[in-house]
Amino acid sequence: MIEVKNIEKTYIMGKVKVQALKGVSFDVKKGEFLAIMGASGSGKSTLLHQIGLLDTPTAGRIFIDKLNALKLSEREKTLFRLNHLGYVFQEYAILPELTAVENVYLPAMMRGERKELYLKSSIDILETVGLGNRLHHLPRELSGGEQQRVAIARAIVNKPKILFADEPCVSLDSESSKQILELFKTLNTELNQTIVMITHEDWHKEYSDRVIYMKDGLIEKM
Amino acid sequence: MLKNFKVSFFLAHKSIRRGSIGTVILTVTIMSLIFMNLIFLPSIVSGIGETMNIMIIDYTYSNIVIEPKEDNLYINNVASIKKKINSLPGVVGTSARYMTGATYTYKDNFVGGAVRSINPVDEVAVTKIQTELIEGEYLSEADTDEILLGIDLAGTEGKEAEEADLGGVRVGDKIKVTFSNGAIKEYRVKGIFKTKAFTVDSAAFITEKEMESVLGLDNKASEILVKISRRGSEEEYRKKFMELGISEDIKTWKDKSAGLVGNVISSFSLITFISTIISLVMAVVVIFIIIYINTVNKRRQIGILKAIGIDQWAIIHSYVIQALFYCFSGIILGAFLLYFLISYMTANPITFPMGELKPVVEQQLIIQSIISLIAASFIAGLIPSWKTARENILKSIWG
Ligand SMILES: Nc1ncnc2c1ncn2[C@@H]1O[C@H](COP(=O)(O)OP(=O)(O)OP(=O)(O)O)[C@@H](O)[C@H]1O
Ligand SMILES: [Mg+2]
Repeated sequence: MIEVKNIEKTYIMGKVKVQALKGVSFDVKKGEFLAIMGASGSGKSTLLHQIGLLDTPTAGRIFIDKLNALKLSEREKTLFRLNHLGYVFQEYAILPELTAVENVYLPAMMRGERKELYLKSSIDILETVGLGNRLHHLPRELSGGEQQRVAIARAIVNKPKILFADEPCVSLDSESSKQILELFKTLNTELNQTIVMITHEDWHKEYSDRVIYMKDGLIEKM
Repeated sequence: MLKNFKVSFFLAHKSIRRGSIGTVILTVTIMSLIFMNLIFLPSIVSGIGETMNIMIIDYTYSNIVIEPKEDNLYINNVASIKKKINSLPGVVGTSARYMTGATYTYKDNFVGGAVRSINPVDEVAVTKIQTELIEGEYLSEADTDEILLGIDLAGTEGKEAEEADLGGVRVGDKIKVTFSNGAIKEYRVKGIFKTKAFTVDSAAFITEKEMESVLGLDNKASEILVKISRRGSEEEYRKKFMELGISEDIKTWKDKSAGLVGNVISSFSLITFISTIISLVMAVVVIFIIIYINTVNKRRQIGILKAIGIDQWAIIHSYVIQALFYCFSGIILGAFLLYFLISYMTANPITFPMGELKPVVEQQLIIQSIISLIAASFIAGLIPSWKTARENILKSIWG
């Protein structure tokens, strides 16, 4: 599903160069639940941004479903993200002016789907994540865990090829964290959803199939 | 494209509906005031122009003025010309006037000017001078020893030294008139008029009968004033007059007064131009600031939208739509307020030295103001959102 080949990323800040990724290679198989772990500053987020096509690496190649992803133009990348990738960020990255269901169906609207269809699938997915009774709540009327579940619903409503999650539980208590991870596991096992998730909690890795450990911009072990 | 627009509209709609009501009210109010300002001042200036035009038509030139051909002092065969013109449908009346240089003397005061003659009956159909008598009576056709004076010529007692008037002539007083042909005659002041129209109040009128006897002329005129029922069709009538074989110089009131009203209006036009520019700059600044603050506050959201695959132009357009919403709402509110203001001012006109001032709103001005406000809002909405939405995704989300 994903082939990462010798990815490097160097941030240039004035005269200082920060080499966040120094040559990272690995594969992710279809239906795999991959966890990325490592110390703060080891380059986990940077790596996720590169394979999630949110940023462009300094060197290396990325193939998603055999497609040379770095050859895409900005516009094509945007469309690719819309149609094939899903994201869950650290903080609850949902839009405060949209209700739960609106947040979920916005990408479908962008894809030009029919309202009856996307409304139904958005409601279904919110029910799946346990928010069937929160459809028309605005984010400020939801708890942190609920907001994060809205973000997950938005990320998976389109059945993306890959779901990316960058420390999705970092601002949640352990009970909510557990709910989120259970949800990921269910998606992974029941729908064969490919997931790449960054985490720094040891107990989270129980839910994943495989763990990649990062250190100083390199893979320490996997 | 359509789905982009749907998303833009959706985002704009939710943002306005769920955003701060205070901001919406404030912005729309400011936009409405700006719209009013764009329309109001030029309408006042147009109102001044219109007041002057009405004065010129009512008191100075009527609609059309026929003058002698070049080099001729008088129009000949006046009776037949008048007959021809009066036979045209839509012509309300004609008034032939003589005009000659004269000096007026009263006590120690003497003033140079031009004395005119009118046929009092004909004149009533053409100008409204007879309705503006502040003292005494209007001339009768047979009067020979009577004169009508404008208030500026008659003057008031205790006049300033530099004023060119007779120092307070009253009805019943006798003034001496020295005509340019040397004739001297004394007239009793029969009436004094005050039209407030430019130059008219320094004029003096005697009857046609009297003038012809003084000048020793008959069936001639210095000018023939023509009143038509429909203002605006002067050019049409000018052509008709020419078709009737009138070879004299035919001028519309506009031709005659071009300098006068034009100068007044053009001296105002710089002021209205500056006010228009200031209004538009204000509109740009207000919308720009609102959208700019909005996009800066929503930088992270914009980054997230882009990350999940929302087209950058759909995001930019959502802000442009918001800017246009403020603009249209402002125009609608402004139009309402303006309607009430203009209605009030039309019902209760301001009294001006020249007369009553009613604002005149020209359709072209409204269209022009709407278009320029839309253009200003469009640009002011586009630039800040374009700048923010173009930013790198990660930078917008994580700073
Ligand atoms: N935009 C940037 N400009 C410059 N340096 C950056 C930028 N983003 C990340 N870095 C640097 O790159 C390195 C890797 O950062 P990254 O965010 O990938 O770490 P991380 O493993 O996700 O850490 P954490 O667990 O704290 O989230 C760090 O040294 C960081 O300071
Ligand atoms: Mg990180």
